[in-house]
Formats: sequence, structure tokens, C-alpha cells
Amino acid sequence: MKKNLLLKIMGLLVIASFVLAACGSPAATEAPAETEAPAVTEAPAATEAPATEASSADVALRWRTRPDNQEEIDVYSQISTELDTQLDGITLTYEPGGSEGANYQDQLRAEIAAGTAPDVFWIPGTDVADFASRGLILNAADLAAATDGYTAADFYEGPMYHLTYNPETGASGDGSGAVWGLPRDVSTFALYLNLDLIAEAGAADPRELAANGEWDWEAFLEVSQATRALSSDIYGYGASAWWGPYGVWLNAAGGGFFNEDRTACALNTEESLAGLDFQRSLYQDYDVAVPYGEDPEPGFRAGKVAMFQNGRWATPGVRTVDFNWDVVELPAGPNGTPGNWLFWGAYVINANTEHPEEAWALVQSLTTAETQGKISALGANIPSRVSQEALDAFLTFTPPANNQAFLNGIAPAAAPTAEGPLWAGSWPEFDKIMDPAIQGVLTGATTVEDFGATICDEANKAFNQ
Amino acid sequence: MTTPSRIDAQTNLVLRIHMVWRVLFAFVAAVAILMLWTGAGETPLWQKILIALGAVIGIGASAYGAFQISKRNHAGRMASLALDYLGFVACFVFALNAGEFFIGIDALGETFGKGVPYLGITALGYFLGMLEEYFPTKNKSAESSLKTVSRWVMLGGFLLFLWQVDALNGIIYFIGKLAQPGGLIAVAGLAIFGLSLWSMSRPNVAQALNVKTGHEQIINGWLFLSPNLLGFLIFFAGPLLLSFYFSFTDSDAIRAPNWVGFENYAKILNIKFATLDSPDQLARDVVDIKVYDEVGRFTFGNTGILFAAADKFFWLALRNTLTFVLFAVPLSVIPALVLSNILNSKLPGMKFYRAVYFMPSIAAVVGISLVWQWLYNATIGYINYFITLGIEFWNNLFTAAVVDPKIQWVSDENTALFAIIIIAAWQTMGFNTVLFLAGLQNIPGELYEAATVDGAGVWDKFWGITIPMLAPTTFYVVSTTTIQAMQVFEQVFILMNPPEGPNNSTITLVLYLYRSGFQNFQQGYASAIAWILFIVIFGLTLIQFQRQRRSSIYES
Repeated sequence: MKKNLLLKIMGLLVIASFVLAACGSPAATEAPAETEAPAVTEAPAATEAPATEASSADVALRWRTRPDNQEEIDVYSQISTELDTQLDGITLTYEPGGSEGANYQDQLRAEIAAGTAPDVFWIPGTDVADFASRGLILNAADLAAATDGYTAADFYEGPMYHLTYNPETGASGDGSGAVWGLPRDVSTFALYLNLDLIAEAGAADPRELAANGEWDWEAFLEVSQATRALSSDIYGYGASAWWGPYGVWLNAAGGGFFNEDRTACALNTEESLAGLDFQRSLYQDYDVAVPYGEDPEPGFRAGKVAMFQNGRWATPGVRTVDFNWDVVELPAGPNGTPGNWLFWGAYVINANTEHPEEAWALVQSLTTAETQGKISALGANIPSRVSQEALDAFLTFTPPANNQAFLNGIAPAAAPTAEGPLWAGSWPEFDKIMDPAIQGVLTGATTVEDFGATICDEANKAFNQ
Repeated sequence: MTTPSRIDAQTNLVLRIHMVWRVLFAFVAAVAILMLWTGAGETPLWQKILIALGAVIGIGASAYGAFQISKRNHAGRMASLALDYLGFVACFVFALNAGEFFIGIDALGETFGKGVPYLGITALGYFLGMLEEYFPTKNKSAESSLKTVSRWVMLGGFLLFLWQVDALNGIIYFIGKLAQPGGLIAVAGLAIFGLSLWSMSRPNVAQALNVKTGHEQIINGWLFLSPNLLGFLIFFAGPLLLSFYFSFTDSDAIRAPNWVGFENYAKILNIKFATLDSPDQLARDVVDIKVYDEVGRFTFGNTGILFAAADKFFWLALRNTLTFVLFAVPLSVIPALVLSNILNSKLPGMKFYRAVYFMPSIAAVVGISLVWQWLYNATIGYINYFITLGIEFWNNLFTAAVVDPKIQWVSDENTALFAIIIIAAWQTMGFNTVLFLAGLQNIPGELYEAATVDGAGVWDKFWGITIPMLAPTTFYVVSTTTIQAMQVFEQVFILMNPPEGPNNSTITLVLYLYRSGFQNFQQGYASAIAWILFIVIFGLTLIQFQRQRRSSIYES
């Protein structure tokens, strides 16, 4: 009897679940129309699409990039569908790789090792040398040379220096004999401001200070201290724990991670240590910063952090906050510049692709001004093509109102340091040594002097590996 | 028991064909070895060795099979069946791969959702057929009609499902791929091995080779064991041996690895101790800084000893891992023991609490770690929020001046590892509690009754009966928890940013292994770390085994 009852209940539950699934199906099919529709129709390309949709003469290409959110996935899917129709003889499959938290790079490396990586994929600028020296990405120099109208000068100089660097000759630029890919976009740091907190603290508006040329480390500290004084749970400044945020303080003081030709560690120079010491003081002496290692973004969104240092990619998330906000460029350091980074990542071609010409055509299509404009409209990044038209369009992608702060960050006057790989060493090894050591300083476990005395002994081992 | 009978001409012919087939098999395998070693292909050395080894075994077994079949011995049948079975399985997998079946499964994943509602119709048909069980009727024709309708509904639903998931195109594509050279070879192999298997398993052939009942049982036994055994060999033992080989190479998982002997192990184990003239003397003054990095220093007054290593990260990881084990194991075992004794009582609602305590064990580690990440947040996390509330309450109540510590759980090198220990202990405790509960319920109640009669108190019974009788369970719990703790990874990887933590305070062996192998392209080095980790775990488990043997009441 009990068994019968149980069977009845189970049966009803199963039917109910299927009915619910059936009822839910319109939503499930509608949503992918914008987001996953290309994946649904194109993912089986390897198995079913060739028999049903694509012409038998078409070359099937898979491509991947790291999206930061669903909106970006939607736009990239749409771009893939459009390019599919524009590129003759090429059928595209877009694979939204894992987000940053889902270890896009680790997954990609595993797929490269297994021989299943896409034909075209995105990698961060720091990985280019590692991938190139291991022969994982195609040198498209010959393809580029045969392409009408292609020139490295169309893109920002910093990324193209590394993307056209020939490790055998040391040459860079057009005619160097190396083209490892084309930059997808660029980005830079700014300070996201909680204007309500700053006004409540009676501090000067950083945007006005910047406009008057008075936005320097001293002014930054004053605003930080004023806002920190509001309450014990309100912080003046917050930054995430990776090489980007702390690097700017070193750069702005005239130092940096490497020597000029990027062949040795420069973390122990007087300038680098001065920059690090100022940043340490924000955490340890003045206590104005969200403790290093704690994620400041939830605090900023909760209205507890006055100035949040992050890249353009944080804009979509910040747009959801319910207080008045804007952005301002980073404060100028002792050497007169804010020491900002020019972040970039590139579309590269899998060295094992069976269709290099088509893959190169795809890389070019993915980096046209038109395509980059569509991505930039989301607010997450800046076009990598040097084009006044593209920059003018970028300024219209508000909020924030002060979009110019980002453009100031990458302007030649600000002398941004381009993110880049280590051609003379291993960036992952260098980062592995540098990152925990700097975290030790910023959390007060190690003094700047002790750090400076030993860091380059260790970090120099990352060169010529 | 079967009796040998006279071999008829047809069986004789089959046996002769089998002998030829076995010789041919050995010949083809020999040619394959020759081509492998003389060919111009870029097959890595380890793959050549592995394939050659398999082929040599195949040649030997095939030749042995041919010889035994010629002698009409059953051993020949056994060898033949084993080889043909393995060949059949291999061809089956190759055929699936040639038809891109595995990629097709991925594609099915994309469309499966569309077909699910139609599976509901199939289920509806099934339940329709079951109606007569719940509402029996004397009208047999109505019952029969119901069953017919049920079958048609099920069939219709299933066909609609196949249509919705676009299975027809998939099947056509699969067949199209199979029709290409690679697929055709696999299909031909399937046919040949299948035919050979079928003919060798026929009763007259078996009898001609003097089969006995025991032989059939052995064959059936191996047949049933084979899925698990093959899975174990291919997915566990194989990679294990491969990683051992890789640990002696400079493999980066992409290019062909080069043999480097013990270089990886030598680098990991290359350590140096040096005397310091003063506590703050720099490492570069006492060791060759181009080779060694400082791991730590022990100071005594105005002097000290420096501990340096060629790979300081390994030693830091080992230190952190052992510290983690030292705290996480007791914290997840002792509370579990106490909790299980409480939950073993017959109070109402205990089943509910047992389920509640078990829940963290079945929750996804990634999800749990993300929740704890929020809880641990030093500025807006709930843990610090409640600590602050508690301190404010205390200060207001007693006009005290207790300072709010504002603990930086994951960003302070002194607390980061402890934060992970708390999560691990909390998560493992529930599972250990269930194991202890099972152990407690196996202790005979008579022992407690006798102890009560003898005047023993609760504490005496716990120490005198519960603890000794739980020894096997405790041993199992401690061993498995230790092994699990030595492999700590997920919590650190998700919770910490960066995972190594401030000043490498949360780098663990598996994390370092992962970093080396999957992020820095050092698969060979990572394999060496894995094997050293295995030796450490093996050593710890061995010690526990010995202690268990000495102290076990069951041994005495």
C-alpha cells in the first residue's frame, strides 16, 4: 500500500516537473535567441551543422574570448553571427570562455595541451611571450604582410610593441617579422568615486582638483583621510590584490617592476620602494584603505568606500549602485604622472589551426573599429584602435559622466606603462615571487627595507628561464 | 562438467582459422612495432614505449594462444577470448571516436532541454499503463486497450523527443563520419574481433578445447569485472604510471618531454642550512642566492640558523599543508566524536539534527567557499559584524573598553590559514559524525548495561567502552580525514585572492602542484611534487596503521 502511494506521488512529481519544464520552454528558447542562440545552432557545427546548415565548402572556425558578464557574451554572440554572414566561406562558432573567476586561462591551457583549443582565442598581454616562445600561437607576419591596409600603427603603440616583438632579432613594429595577434581592446585604471561620501566628508571634489592640476598624492591622501574620518566602517580608498593596483604606485614614483629593457627586476630601486612605501602607508600608517587582500568592490557598492581603484571593466557593475558616483584619473605621483597601466589582451591564432588565412581574416574582423565600438558600448573597455572617431564614441558611453578620465589615463601625456609579457623571462614565475612578497609589505608583515633587500635576489631567477 | 567429444570437421576448420588469425594478429602487431620505431612520425618516446609494450604482450599472448589451440588446450581459448575482447572494446571506442560520438554528446547537451517535455509524454504513457495496477478491472479488453494506448503514447513521446533533439541529423552525421577511412577500419576491426569472439564462444569450439565448468566461471567472472578493471587501468593506473614517468622529464604537456632523470626531485629536495652571524643577516651573505631562497630562519639570541631551499615554494607549501593537517584533523574529528555521542541518544528530533550536521558535507565546496568569503570579509562580513556587536554590547554593559580586533580573516598572514582550517573542519565534521554514529550503533548495548551494573558513570563508560570500541572507526576517520586534509585545494583556491595568500601563508602542496602543472606549463615538475606528496601521505598513513595495530583492542 505504501509502495503504491509512493509510486503515485513520484509519478505525479515527475509529470509535474515535465509540465513545468514544458511551460518554461518558451522562456528557455527566447532567452538564447539573443544569448545562446548562436551556441545552440552553431555548437553542434562539428557534428550536425555541416550536414544541415553550412555549405560543404565553408571552413569552420571556432573562436573564444573571455567575457566578464552575460551582456558581453550576448554581444560577442551577436558579433559572431554577423561576421558569420560577412566572412565568405567561413562558418563561425563562438565559445564564451569562462570568466576571470572561472579560470579562463587554465582551461585554455588544458585545451591547448589536449589539442582541442579553438582556432582563434583571446589571451591577456602578459601571456603573449610565454605562448609565442612555446610555439602555441601562430606568427601571422606573412599573413599581415600580404594584407592590404594592415599596419601596426592603427593600434596603440604599447600593445603593438609586444605583439610585433621578434624574440630572435629584438625588433618590433611593422616589418619586424612577427605579428602574434591584434589587441581586442585596451583599458586603464581610474578611481571610482562615491560623490555622496566625499561631499558628506566636506572633502574637495577630486574631479575639480584634477581639472585644476592639483590632483596628486597629497590631495588624494587628504580626501582619503577626510572620508575615513566619517565612520569606523567607511574607508577612503580600496583596491584589489593583484599586480595592477600596486604597480601604479611604483610607476608613479618613477620605479617599476623591471629595468628599462625588461631583462631584470627593478623592484628594489629607490623609486620603486618609495612608491611601495607610500601605498603601504595608506594601509598601515594612515589606515585609510580597505585592508589589502579584502575585496573592496562589495564595500564600494555598499557605499562604504569613497574611492575605488579599478579598470573600465568595473563600470557595468558600478552602474547598479544607488548613490552618486563618477570617476577621476589616478593622482599624479612624484614623477608627475599617475603611473597608470595600459591594459590589453589580444586575439591570437592557434598555431595548430588548419586554416591560418581564415583565422587571420577573423582576427582582423574582430578588431575593426565597428566591432570594437559594439563591445565598448557596453562600457567595459576602450577600443584598441587609435581613432578619434572611436574615442569620441567612447565618451558617449555614459555613465560615468567623466569618461574622459579613462582616456586621460591612456593619453601619451600620462605616459602609461603598457601591460606586457617578459620576453627575457617568465612572467608567471616573476609574478609568483613578487605578488606574495608585496602583499606581505602591504599587510604589514614585512618592512619595505626587508622587501627591498631580498626581492630582486629571488625575482631575478624568473629571467632567462 | 562437460566431456570431451569427437571434433567435427567444421569445428576443426574453425580452430584452424583461429590459429591462422592468432598468427596474423601477432604478425600485424610486430609490423606495427616496426613501423612505430622506424617511421618518420613525431610520436613521443613514452607513447612509443607504451604502444610497443602493449604490442609485445599482444604478440606473446597471441602466439601462446595459437600454440595452445593447436594442442587443443583450453588455455588457447582463454588467451584468444581475452585478446579478441580487448580488441573489440578498443575498436568500439575508436569507432565512436571516428564518428565523433563524444562531440555529438556535447551537441546533444545543447538540444536536450528542448526534448525533455516530450520525455514527459513517455512518462505519461508509462503511468497510463500502470493504471490497471491501481484500478483493477474485470474488463480484460479495456485493460488491453489501455496497455496498447500506453505503448503508443510512450513510443510517440520518445519519437517526438528524438525529433526535438535533432537525433536524426546526429545519426546521419555519425554514419557519414564512420564511412570515412578511419571509421571503416574501426568497423572492420569490430566485425573481425566480434566474429572471432562469437565463434570462440560457441559450445562446440569450447568442447573441442576441453572446456570445464570452472573455465566458464572464470570467463564470466573476468567479463563482469572487465568494465571496472578497464576503467581502473585506463583512467587511474595508467595516468598514475604516466605521471611517475613524467616526474623524470621536463614535460610541459605540449612538446615531447625530455628525460631529465632525478633533476626535478633534486631541485625540490635541494635544501641548505646555514649559520647566521646575526638574526637579521641577509640570506645572500650565507648561501648562494642564485640557487637558494630563504624559506625561514630560527634565531637564538644573537645568532640563528637559516633554512634555504632551491624551491622555497615547495617547502612553504609543505609547512602550510602540515600545519593545516595538524589543526584541521583534530578539529573535524574530536567535535564529530562528541557530536555523534549526543546524536546517538534517543531524544526526539535527533534524525533532523543528524541531517542538519551532514548537510555541509554534501554541499559543493566552491559554493561553500564563496559563502565563507562573504562571511570572512573584514569590512562588510557577518562574522566581524557580530564580533563588533558583541564587543559594543559588552562595553556598554560593563563600561569596558575592549578594542574591536577587526580581524582580517583572509588578508592577514596570521589568520588566513586558520580561516581555511575552520571551513574545512566545519565541512568535514558532519561526515565524520555519521561515521562515528555508525560505529557507535555497532557497540553492543550489553557492555553498557554491564558497566552500569558495575557502577560505572557516564564518563567511565565513555573512556572504558566507547573510545576503545570505536577504535577501528576512529582509525578510519582519522586516516581518511588526514589524507583529505593533505590534499586541501578547493577552499584555498576559491577563498583566497591570490590563492597563495599574504606572504605565501596559504600555499599548499596541491595548490602549488596545480600552479606548476596547469598555469606554468611544468607538468614534469608538478608530477614530481605529486609523487612526493604521495610519499608523505603514504608515510603518515603507515604510521597510523602501525599505531592502530599496537593499540587496537581487536588485535589483542
